[in-house]
Amino acid sequence: MPDGPPILAVEGVTKRFGPNEVLKNVTLSIGAQEIRAICGENGAGKSTLVKVFTGVHQVDGGVVLVDGKPTAIPSPLHAQEFGIALVAQELSLAPALSVLDNIWLGNRKVPLFHRRKELREQARAALEKVGLGDLPPETPVSQLSIGRRQLVEIARMLTRDARVLILDEPTATLSDVEIERIFSALRALKSEGKSIIYITHRLGEVFEICDSVSVLRNGELVGTRPTAEIDRGELMRMMLGRSLGEMYPKWTNMPGKRMLVVEHLSVPGIVHDFNLAARRGEVVCLAGQVGSGAIEALRALAGLVAAATGNVTAMDQPIRLRSVQRAQRAQVQFISEDRAGEGVFLNLSVAQNLVANCLGLHSRFGMLRHGDLREAAAKLATAAGVDLARLRSPADELSGGNQQKLAFGRAISGDEPGVLLMNEPTRGVDVGARAEIYRLIREFCDRGYCIVMASSDIEEVLGMSDIIVSMYRGRQIATYRRGEVNQQQVLADITHPAAAA
Amino acid sequence: MTKRRIVIGIRIVTIAAIAVFALTTPGFTSPISINALLNAISFIGCVAVGMTFITLTGNIMSLCLGATLSASALIFLASLSAGILPAFVLALAFGIIVTAAQGLLVGYFRANPILVSIAGLSLLIGGADLATGGQRIYPGGEGLQVFKGRIAGIPVEALYFFATVVIGQFVLSFTRIGRVMTMVGSNARAATAAGINTAAAITWAYVMAGACAAVSGVLLAARYGSGDMELGTGYDYTAIAAVLVGGTAIQGGSGSVVRTLIGVTVIAVIEVVLLLRGFSQQLQYLITGLIVLAVIMLHTIGERR
Amino acid sequence: MIAHAFRSLLAPTLRPFTIMACAIILLALIDRGHGYFFSVGTIFSVMQLFATFGLVALGLGLSMLVREFDLSVAGIVGLAGCIAVMTGVENPWLGVVLGVGAGLVSGTLQGLIMTRLHLSSVGVTLGGLLTLQGITYVLTENKTISYPNIAVALQLNEPLANLLSVRSAVALAVFALAAAVMTYTHIGRDVIATGSDRRASRIAGLNTDRVVIGVFAASGMAAGLAGVLLSYSLGAASPIALADVLAPAAAAAIVGGVSVVGGRGSPLGIAAGVLTLCILRSGLSAIGVAPHVHDLVTGGILIFIAVLDAPDLMRRITTWRLDRAERQAAAENQT
Repeated sequence: MPDGPPILAVEGVTKRFGPNEVLKNVTLSIGAQEIRAICGENGAGKSTLVKVFTGVHQVDGGVVLVDGKPTAIPSPLHAQEFGIALVAQELSLAPALSVLDNIWLGNRKVPLFHRRKELREQARAALEKVGLGDLPPETPVSQLSIGRRQLVEIARMLTRDARVLILDEPTATLSDVEIERIFSALRALKSEGKSIIYITHRLGEVFEICDSVSVLRNGELVGTRPTAEIDRGELMRMMLGRSLGEMYPKWTNMPGKRMLVVEHLSVPGIVHDFNLAARRGEVVCLAGQVGSGAIEALRALAGLVAAATGNVTAMDQPIRLRSVQRAQRAQVQFISEDRAGEGVFLNLSVAQNLVANCLGLHSRFGMLRHGDLREAAAKLATAAGVDLARLRSPADELSGGNQQKLAFGRAISGDEPGVLLMNEPTRGVDVGARAEIYRLIREFCDRGYCIVMASSDIEEVLGMSDIIVSMYRGRQIATYRRGEVNQQQVLADITHPAAAA
Repeated sequence: MTKRRIVIGIRIVTIAAIAVFALTTPGFTSPISINALLNAISFIGCVAVGMTFITLTGNIMSLCLGATLSASALIFLASLSAGILPAFVLALAFGIIVTAAQGLLVGYFRANPILVSIAGLSLLIGGADLATGGQRIYPGGEGLQVFKGRIAGIPVEALYFFATVVIGQFVLSFTRIGRVMTMVGSNARAATAAGINTAAAITWAYVMAGACAAVSGVLLAARYGSGDMELGTGYDYTAIAAVLVGGTAIQGGSGSVVRTLIGVTVIAVIEVVLLLRGFSQQLQYLITGLIVLAVIMLHTIGERR
Repeated sequence: MIAHAFRSLLAPTLRPFTIMACAIILLALIDRGHGYFFSVGTIFSVMQLFATFGLVALGLGLSMLVREFDLSVAGIVGLAGCIAVMTGVENPWLGVVLGVGAGLVSGTLQGLIMTRLHLSSVGVTLGGLLTLQGITYVLTENKTISYPNIAVALQLNEPLANLLSVRSAVALAVFALAAAVMTYTHIGRDVIATGSDRRASRIAGLNTDRVVIGVFAASGMAAGLAGVLLSYSLGAASPIALADVLAPAAAAAIVGGVSVVGGRGSPLGIAAGVLTLCILRSGLSAIGVAPHVHDLVTGGILIFIAVLDAPDLMRRITTWRLDRAERQAAAENQT
């Protein structure tokens, strides 16, 4: 590593939102030609730290240093000028524009009358570096896969002479081929003298591409180590502060009769010939990355996919797809992976959210029975672990974990226990609430529900399921019973399954 | 929590200020001015109640409720020869059909509501011109008295308006479909995932809007004794202004008919007060416009975008 | 093959021109060679209408590009017209400057309120509309103001090369300028990006507030210019001159390919949309068709576009088709 002051650093930095201290006295520094991973559970403070670096948030205590000098980064524009660039989790490409236009979008240095030839040349060069040399720059971004869009974002950073590139969960939605491309792009950038901050949950990648890793937990820096000097287990211990075992509840299950039988479920281009049988009291996990079809399969079973076909039987009754109401009548309920966009009515009260699925049950001749609804809301809140004192508060005042419990409460509002379909049940939920949610899931099983969930978190899959179904690119790869398989095998299944066998 | 209290506080203070301003105006409490107030509120109020349903379900506004009002009035006048009740029912049915068709497009296909309302406006104007040849329509029979005059000193229009308000708010607060409308406006995707028939909810919201516009049309036809398509000009803007001044959110999911009642009353009171205090009509217009702008701004500060 | 050609002609970028072509063909057919439609007089009246509505449609269309809606255009047209008529008697150019300036100020103010206070454009421009109309009423004392400078009125409407007038030429020039700016400068990209995904554009480093304010300022100026030209050419200005201009302008922009939810559209498309509606109106009346046909046809076209662009159209069709197939299969299984 070359000498010189670290390009970017924070010393004793603290950040508060209201009464919460989100960053507590954090000190770390990034040098040139370094790829640093920042790891931590949800809610550990990673994204707040990134926002401090990119000028979105200002610190309440401590200093931010650029090139060794205390500097304020009052806005994203200033961050851009200091050479700090971010590729966020939610991409910042305008779908209506072409790749070329998106690369130059928001770039201060573009003259009023763009000299298209020059701009195209530079864009081409940047695209080449990220492995997209054969992509015509006029292609509208809306036609690109998410993986390629990610690479376009990195190409954009290259044209901005960024010195420090921050990638926030860059590979969460990528296929393995695309991940390799990103890695080679990152290695090339490193050799050119740039530094990279790499935020990820995927511990394997930390060891594959990063030189060192800083771990945050509950807003504090646990430590910074070179990746060559630690192993996975130690990294996980640093992140969780406890061993894995305590997260997942123990149970002895006695699965009952079959509640859900799926045959030949297909969604053109996304899910191919999916088959499943699930029993009462059982948790079945579909393990797969984004794009594996796991999430889409459950959405199809919930009745949300217009093009889904297949034979589905729930509670011994055949149900027709493509209608949420038909699914609900067969006691099949759904918890969405997109909490804010599809899971919660943010401006309605907690109570109104809880009874959203069962209004029909509590009305007579089209009139709502408010007394019944109040009772039902209280019962569901208790069953899902939602604070009764918050029943009248608007749902957007709840934390992510509590909103997820809200969604759970809503899903068990049917008149008898049925099938619960959950997509990524702990996405964006912090550690404490996760353990509660896992406990809830098992409780529901005891009550007679059958749970089918889709998750890209392999530890969660292994910790929670009776049956694991691994999926890759829309196809089922293998089915395992609890205890029959280890993490490596599942990971292999969902990232690069053996061709034939 | 505190932010919410501040917002409610501002609203109460604003209404109180307006009330004080009104009550200290000489002549405000005189029968003539109360009458004028009630009249102003009733006609525009019905349309505003209807507009509330459209806004509440997340469909922003309709630009053709005024035209629906006019067309229903024409139908009412023309069918008076068949009797008061049939004429009223026909007018109502017409208003409902016109808006329900729009509601179906917006609900089932998620067609853009503003675009659909502009299309509806064109079709209504063209259709009316085709049917009437541009002529004024006069009553085809007796019976207009039912919809004008007074009962116990209160203008009949006001009674019809209050009935509309009561029915509208009842639907919102006590029926399942009313609650569903609010949920659809709050988050249409979540409503679908919750098993709600969002298309039906939106269609019903448009049906309410059409019915309310038709009622207003009948009342106006009765008052003026004749009608043409100019009857409802400008009503759409005043109606949505009343909805927004009342505090219903433009993006939907939050609001009520009672709030719209307050909004209509506030605007009408301001107009009457300005008139009584001797402001010229021009200044009335300007000051009302400024106050509407100010109140809309006040509402959204402290809320989400 | 034909289906593919059909679909690409109806794709949003080409659609305005396809519709315009259809309108022309339709009218030519109805005309049946009588020559009422394809006459110089008709083209002139089409362009005069274009001059009246076109600039307003351009301004409104620009605001729709960034996913907003400028309800106040009618108010700006009225105010600018009245200001121009009142101040431009001696020096017409002064009236132009002040009228367009009023539009600029009103647009900028509304844009500032919208962006700084995070308000939706519907509420702000509605209040703006009422306020602008109020100001106009106060300035004119609720009367129609006449514009004694007849020379200007005549000059504005004098035919150039028999097809255009100064008014329509100015309108065309403004469209050309807008098209050039949108195509050859990054402003065009920024506007489309802001409308396409404002959050993403902001993260990418674009000052979306400035883009929105700029769009509303431009919309205000365009509407202001429209008001000035109209009042000058009519020789009079009244507070309610073009009070109903919103619906036709929005219709023109939408027929012109502008998407109401932003991120799609162009000045050339808007021009085609305006021309289509003007051709329908002038052409139909030139042929002697009753005016209601124009409204009905416009309404029909708008419904067509509304359904075509409806996000859930394909979903519903797919679901309906699959449901029907399943029902048929079930019926066959029983027999």
